[in-house]
Amino acid sequence: MSEQSTGLLGWIDARFPLSKMMREHLSEYYAPKNFNFWYFFGSLALLVLVIQILSGIFLTMHYKPDAELAFASVEHIMRDVNWGWLIRYMHSTGASFFFIVVYLHMFRGLMYGSFKHPRELIWLFGMLIYVALMAEAFMGYLLPWGNMSYWGAQVIINLFNTIPFVGEAISEWIRGDFVISDATLNRFFSLHVIAVPLALLGLIVGHILALHEVGSNNPDGVEIKKTKGADGIPLDGIPFHPYYTVKDILGSVVFLAIFAFVIFFMPEMNGYFLEHANFDPANALNTPDHIAPIWYFTPFYTVLRAIPDPFLGFMMMAMAIVVLFLLPWIDRNPIKSIRYRSTLFKVNLIIFVITFIILGYLGLKPVTDLYSQLALRFTELYFLFFFVLWAYSKPRSGGFWIGSFIVLLVGITAYDFLVNSSEQPDLIWKTWVIPAAYLFITLLLPQFTNWDAEKQVPERVTS
Amino acid sequence: MKILNKILFLFVLSMLVMSAAWSASEHAYEKNQFGKVNIELNNKASLQRGAKYFVNYCLSCHPAKHSRYKRVADDLGIREDLMIDNMIFTGQKFGELMTVAMKREDAQKWFLGVDPPDLSTHVRAIGPQAVYEFLKTFYVDDHRPFGVNNLYLPNTAMPHVLADLQGLQRADFHVEPSTDGVEHKAFDKFETVKPGALSDKEYEQVVTDIVNFLAYLSEPAQLIRKKVGVGVLFFLGILGILAYFLKRNYWQDVH
Repeated sequence: MSEQSTGLLGWIDARFPLSKMMREHLSEYYAPKNFNFWYFFGSLALLVLVIQILSGIFLTMHYKPDAELAFASVEHIMRDVNWGWLIRYMHSTGASFFFIVVYLHMFRGLMYGSFKHPRELIWLFGMLIYVALMAEAFMGYLLPWGNMSYWGAQVIINLFNTIPFVGEAISEWIRGDFVISDATLNRFFSLHVIAVPLALLGLIVGHILALHEVGSNNPDGVEIKKTKGADGIPLDGIPFHPYYTVKDILGSVVFLAIFAFVIFFMPEMNGYFLEHANFDPANALNTPDHIAPIWYFTPFYTVLRAIPDPFLGFMMMAMAIVVLFLLPWIDRNPIKSIRYRSTLFKVNLIIFVITFIILGYLGLKPVTDLYSQLALRFTELYFLFFFVLWAYSKPRSGGFWIGSFIVLLVGITAYDFLVNSSEQPDLIWKTWVIPAAYLFITLLLPQFTNWDAEKQVPERVTS
Repeated sequence: MKILNKILFLFVLSMLVMSAAWSASEHAYEKNQFGKVNIELNNKASLQRGAKYFVNYCLSCHPAKHSRYKRVADDLGIREDLMIDNMIFTGQKFGELMTVAMKREDAQKWFLGVDPPDLSTHVRAIGPQAVYEFLKTFYVDDHRPFGVNNLYLPNTAMPHVLADLQGLQRADFHVEPSTDGVEHKAFDKFETVKPGALSDKEYEQVVTDIVNFLAYLSEPAQLIRKKVGVGVLFFLGILGILAYFLKRNYWQDVH
């Protein structure tokens, strides 16, 4: 578009790249035409962010970050502030929905290889957003100053105690006190409403700028920029606006209906979104019967609990997140989309999803003999997934498959002999079947079946 | 792959079953043995009766300090003068919070170091069914300071404030064969030792009214929340239909 705008827009455009930005990011940003269901969650994450910021602004007008007043001020919002209950439920439900949406968004990336070359930096920005979001959610969870807020924060901050030599100093530094107190509440409030949201906004801008620089991936994993028409526009691309804006409006309305259903009909979500014990005020002398982190942290909490040594457990939990950052360099298979990858890749991904859900479930439950064994087994599966993903990067020799099968199985079994213990020793061997079966399926079947066969990636997107 | 999925499915299933069994063994009596409370927030008469019992029997020790008298009166359709004359015993104003006159130090002294929990939020933490069972399972026990014990909350510090209405009952237990060397007492049945002013059925209604009121008090927004929700979903439904046709229209030329 070479013609100059006139009037007010022309006046602005001469001074600020308004039309230019609109073109580059909306009306002349060409997105693949074959986005499916999974491609709603990026824009939905942005929608939830806006909901959280707006509801957060109004909550901040009435909330008091003071250990004496915080709990009562939340109840004041729930009872005396006009529509305060709605604003609060939007914010508390929004926190859980943020993670639902982000987990589905990340799973989309895993399925269609959206983290692969040339989109590594988009993935890294995304992972930083995810970590910032976890910090944001954790600090926000302390603010109602309920008993679960208090004890949940106690447990998580005490994790830093396990770091040798400097651990206690670090957790004291985080709390600003020897125990969780008014000082902790005040700084968490500051970080929750200013510091982390600012960081999040910056990271999201980086995420989207990086995306628009290289262009969106799609369910076929085909680069649409490789096939351009005479006008220089990708043949399989359509302008983001109006095509995807109208599509995302539809997606947003459906999402909002589900969101509203939870807000109005089940805001506590049976204690998963708002934990019951949090309706009693924080009490340093009264521990809740069972302290469980809120659901979106529980997969990592299970990894922590699966390892008996506290510091090692802490490190493994951190590794469980760090390994996600490395995904672009772990899965180096040139085929991006799950559509053209092997059956075993699909099996591996399905098992990973099941593993993540089971880890999350176990993190909500009190520790028993069976659960702690299962926690260990599914933690093993969690990390083995990444090894297998790496192994599926290219064709490998029979010796590689059999060799890595033996080495990993021996390693797991050695851990059982040397470290793993249980009140019921037979549980160890019964649950040993889980990683053994996993390794058998993922590492030996490529040798004996054709389930590792990959499909030809088409030149153009298929639908 | 299918076999593995089946194994995983069985694991998840067995975990669910085990967690259910675990939670059932917490109490010495069977779940819902004393009936399940029926919360009817539309029943204004029940809520009003519950409010009356609450201010007479509970509020002298238990605060409801996040709730205001005026809000309760507005929500339950109680006239301002009636509320002030009959339901505010502390000399407080109509718009004030429902606190108690009792000092915290006194409460600690009288109730074995326990603060009577605030009933405007605590009920939401434990659920209405818990209060319902608590109020129905007081029984005579000479070893306790107030002469009564409770089946739902063993060794509770609370006296049986509704004893005049319910009367007193004795609890029969039997010792269960033990598997872990610790003696477990299982509850058999209650037997009335001193009848109260009300019949069993009338007392049941009193407890239901109180619990109903407390369920309301723990989240007053419940009275309108679902109604607003229906309106919002209706709006989103219409918007969704329009958004669908808008999308379909725009996407006609994408092949």
